[in-house]
Parts: sequence; C-alpha cells; structure tokens
Amino acid sequence: MEISLLDAAVKGLLNVFQLKVLLAMLAGVCIGTFTAVAPQGLGTPLVYAILLPVVIKWEPVTGIALLIGASSVSAICAAYLPILFGIPGGSGSQATVLDGYPMGKRGEARRALGASFMAGGLGCLIGTLTLALAIPAARPLIYLMGSPELFVVMLWGLSMVAVLAGRRPLKGLIAAAFGLLLATIGQQAQSGIMRFVFDQPYLLDGFSISIIALAVFGIPSALDLALTKLGVEQEPAPLKGSLFDGVKDTLREWLLVLRCSFVGVWVGIVPGLGSQVVDWLAYGHAVQSAKSGKENFGKGDVRGVIAPESANDAKDGGDLVTTLLLGFPQGVATALFIVALLAWGFVPGPEMVKKNADIIYSVVWIQGLSGITGTLIGFILAQQLAKLAQVRYSIMVPVMFLFILMGAFAVNRDPLDLVVVVAFGILGYFMRRFGYPRPAMILGLVLGELMERYLYRSMASYGFTWLTRPAVIVLLVFAAVSFIMTLRGRAKGKGPEAQSPVTGAIARVGDES
Amino acid sequence: MRANLTLFFLLVFVVAAVSGWEWPYIAKLMPVYVAAIPGIVLCLVQLFREATAWEERKGTQGGVEMDEVYQAKLEKRIETRRTLIFFAWFIGGALGIWLFGIVIAIPALVFLYMLFEGKEKWSTSLIMTVSAYLLIWGLFEYMLEARWPPGLLFR
Repeated sequence: MEISLLDAAVKGLLNVFQLKVLLAMLAGVCIGTFTAVAPQGLGTPLVYAILLPVVIKWEPVTGIALLIGASSVSAICAAYLPILFGIPGGSGSQATVLDGYPMGKRGEARRALGASFMAGGLGCLIGTLTLALAIPAARPLIYLMGSPELFVVMLWGLSMVAVLAGRRPLKGLIAAAFGLLLATIGQQAQSGIMRFVFDQPYLLDGFSISIIALAVFGIPSALDLALTKLGVEQEPAPLKGSLFDGVKDTLREWLLVLRCSFVGVWVGIVPGLGSQVVDWLAYGHAVQSAKSGKENFGKGDVRGVIAPESANDAKDGGDLVTTLLLGFPQGVATALFIVALLAWGFVPGPEMVKKNADIIYSVVWIQGLSGITGTLIGFILAQQLAKLAQVRYSIMVPVMFLFILMGAFAVNRDPLDLVVVVAFGILGYFMRRFGYPRPAMILGLVLGELMERYLYRSMASYGFTWLTRPAVIVLLVFAAVSFIMTLRGRAKGKGPEAQSPVTGAIARVGDES
Repeated sequence: MRANLTLFFLLVFVVAAVSGWEWPYIAKLMPVYVAAIPGIVLCLVQLFREATAWEERKGTQGGVEMDEVYQAKLEKRIETRRTLIFFAWFIGGALGIWLFGIVIAIPALVFLYMLFEGKEKWSTSLIMTVSAYLLIWGLFEYMLEARWPPGLLFR
C-alpha cells in the first residue's frame, strides 16, 4: 500500500512538471494575486466561478493547477488591503488589520508585508504537508467505506449548511433546499424519469452549476462596485521599511507560526468550526500566549500579523483534506473545486483516494509550489501590487461583465445560458439583499446529485438495513455532534462579529475558504 | 419586499411538490421528500417570522455572517437608479451577444460602459476594448481554436 502511494506521489509530481501545467499554475498565481490585492468585488469563489467553465474543458491537472494556483496565493497576498488601507482583504485576513494597519501608518508597511508573506508561505507549506501526510493515514479507513457510508458523509457535508448559513440558519436551510431542488432538474440517471423539464430540451441535463455560481456570486459583486462607484477610497499607508525585517521577525517567531498554522489546519479539517473565523482564533491564541501580548497587540505588534496570516494560509491545506479525502466542501471555493473534479470524471472522497491518488498528490504538489511562487511574487512585486489596490470601478465593472458573460457563454455556447446567468444573477442579488446565504444554496446544488446517487445505491443494495452498519452509525454520530456543536456555539453567541473592524459602504465578510 | 423572496421560494417548492407527486418513489425521494416538502415548511416558518417581525425583536442568532452582508449606505433613490442602470448594462450585454455575437458585443460593452457610465478617457476605453477583443478572439478563436457562434443578425 505504501509503495503504491509512493508511486502515486511520484506520478503526481511528474504530472505537475509539464510546461503547460507550470504555466497554468503561474497564471493561477497571477490571477490569485490580483484577486487578493484588487479592491472589493473579487474573491476566490468568484474567481473559481469565472474560471470553471473554461478549465473543465482542459486536461485535469492543467485545470487543477490554475484553480489551486489562484486560491493558494490569494490568502498569501491578502495582507495588502489590511496593511496599506486598514480594510480586510477577505475573510481570513480581517484580524491582520488590527496590527498591520498601525504598522503601516507608522512607516513599517514593508516590514508588515514581509512578515505576512513569510508567515503565509510557511503556513501554506505546513498545511500542504499535513494534507500529504493525511492521505496515507486516512487510506485504510477509506477502504472500509461503501455507498451507505458515503451517503452519510454527504449528509455530514450538508449539515455544513448550519455553518454556511451563518447567523440565519432558517434562511440557510431554505437556500440549501432550493439548491437540492435545482440539482434534481433534468433526467434522473437511475430511473430515466424527466424531472422538472417542462418539455424544454434545455433542461434535459439540468442547469450548469458553474453558470449558477458565476451568476449568484459574480453579478452582486460587480453591482457592489457599480453602486459605490469606488475602489479603495482611503489613501494608502506609505510603503516604507524593509521586507526582510518582516522575514527576520517571522523566523524569530517560528514557534508562533507553527502553532498558528496548526490552528489553521485544524479549523480547515474539522467541519463546523467555521473556517471563516480562523484569523480571529489564531489572533486570540497569539494574544493569550505571546509575551506581553495583551499590552502590545492592537498597537502594531508584528506578531499580530504573523499569527492570523500563517493560520489563514495553513487552513487551505486543512480544507483540502476534507474536500479530497471525504468529498465534502468547507466553503464555496472548495464546493466549486468539487464541481470541477466531477466534470473531469473524478469523484472526490474515498473513490478518488482509491482510483486517482496521483491526482490528489498533484494537488498537494501544486499547492506547495503555488505557495512558494506566491510568496516570491509578493516579495518581488510588493511596490507594483500595492498600486493594483486602487483600480477604479469603471475598469473593474466592465472586466467583470466580460468574464461573467464570457464564462457563462463558454459553457455550451447556447444563448439560453445567457438567460440563465441573468435570471440567477437577479436571484443572487435578491438573496444577498435579503440575507439568504448563497453558499448554502451552492452546497445543496453540489451535494444534491452525489447524495442521490449514494442513497439510491444504498437502498438498492441493502434496503433500510444500511442504517444499521456500524460505520454508518459512527459517521452519523460524528455528523450529529458537529452539527449540534455548531448550533450550540452559535447559541452562546461567541461569534467574533463584534471584533470586526470592517466598515464601509458594503462590508465584505464573505466565505472565501 | 423581503417576504416576496420567501414567497418566491415557497412557490417554487409548491410547484416542485405538485409536479413530482405522481413520480415513482425513487424519482421523487430527493426533490419532493428531501427538498420541496421541508422547503415548504421552512418557508412557512420564515413567513411567520417575517410577518411577526421576529428577527427585529429577537435579533439574528449568534455566529458570524457567512455570506456578504448588504449594508449599502446609499440613498434609496440613488441605489435603485444605479441598480437598474447596472442591470440594464448587463442585460444589454447579454442581448448584444445574442444579436451580434460575443466577439462584437463584449468589446462594444466594455467600450461603451467605460466611456459613458465610467466617464473614462477615450484612450483608456480603447485600450481596454482592444484587450477584451484580443482575449475573446485571440485567446479563444485563434489560440484555443474554440469558435464562437455568430450572432442572430449574422446567421
């Protein structure tokens, strides 16, 4: 078994070392960097939604390189906005504002950025290493899983609605049910029955998830920019100081980096912890554990930058553990990554571990390489990237129009796809306007088809006796415990929303995991 | 207005439940029993909460927002006007693709939006338009050999 995994790891590496894959990874890193630095409007889920219609027609490893390249680096470079402008660069970097911005204002922006890049790069590598080690550790367990266990795993994934619904669980459940319903449109594979087709040939294969994701996330984001008509309104902090001072700070605080990285990995792996608050958890840990933390944090202490950034980047590795090994997403970006994997013919989870372990290792290698490349880009182009943060809305909005319309039309080149993107764009606008969480809808949409497949197989093979299988019972208990713990945590009202310093025309605390 | 979206979801779930009621068990298990019927119940509870202003009285439950929070601090009239203008541009772009084809419509949309809505300079608008054209035609048609279909007017 170990030899075959070693083979898979070597094959995964060889998959990556092709010119087109490396170029795709570099392109992904550039896109992710721009995403992280650009003013409000773009986030990893939107980038995935835009790229998905294009990359699913590529060879799998090339497409994976583009997607993973974009997501892994977006966390590393997310510190620009907090440090230079005092606004979060997306969820996972909100806590960085507390110490990053004071450092920027007192002329240590480059030191803070250097610490952020270095801590982020190290966090990314620790997260990647954990993912690599999790594969052989989880493999024996994964071989014990059949369709009933996989159905329960999907159910566990759906219980994540409790997390993705945030402060509005009821609306989240409605959105998830709507997503599940959308997933059933078209001809059912098992029975051949046409469901909700209404004699429309367009609906035979159901809606494209990538078009729906593009519409519900892309259009409201572009609308934000068109409404507020601004990029970043504040003057940036002066880009002074030395990047290498930040590197030295990070290396000196290696133990803090290690601890916070494991906080990030843990939050990424365990369902229900809420990976959107990883930066606050790491920051809180640093305040408690660091020497003179309570006196210095919040006043421009470099450890207040190192802690959240290392955790935020390590979290991606943890997210991928559940996404690739169990097949359920921890957020919208990983849900869309699952959509891409399904389009390429891989079924993430135990089936992929058994049949396509080399692809999983390719993801591991790409994640690690992207982290290193992103860190280097951050160091080399620090000055130039800072200017990207001030791109005007009048440039961003048409660019987003371009990618949304082109992305939707590229799927089937069918004008009806344009009708769908407009309709779901309007729905996405109203959902966001009235507090219906869109991530919950996407989760229902992504998991609906998989759940139905595994449920059908379980019922066909075992009737209702599958419910008595020991592994099913254990997994159901895990799912129930994680669900209840999430709800209990919310009931206690421990949410860190009060800590968020975000203000502005439209506060962005989106799920960008 | 808020209740309208809940009513929309309720309508969708009711239509789904009625449409799927006669299907065999295996076909209606997921759409009817797992999605539509629970969806109807949840929508009714939500409508009750909206009718009695439950959230305003109790506040949303603890926890963090997992989706973007809408907190636009714009005057209602300005917000409505800008929203309608935005969707007019977007729907215009989609219609343009249908009528003229994507190779013409998208660069035209970029140029017109930047010039008239964004009040950008001619030179900036032209540079962005050429870039959009090169991306759509150059990358897709020339490099990836993915042919875009012509618009309705050119068939």
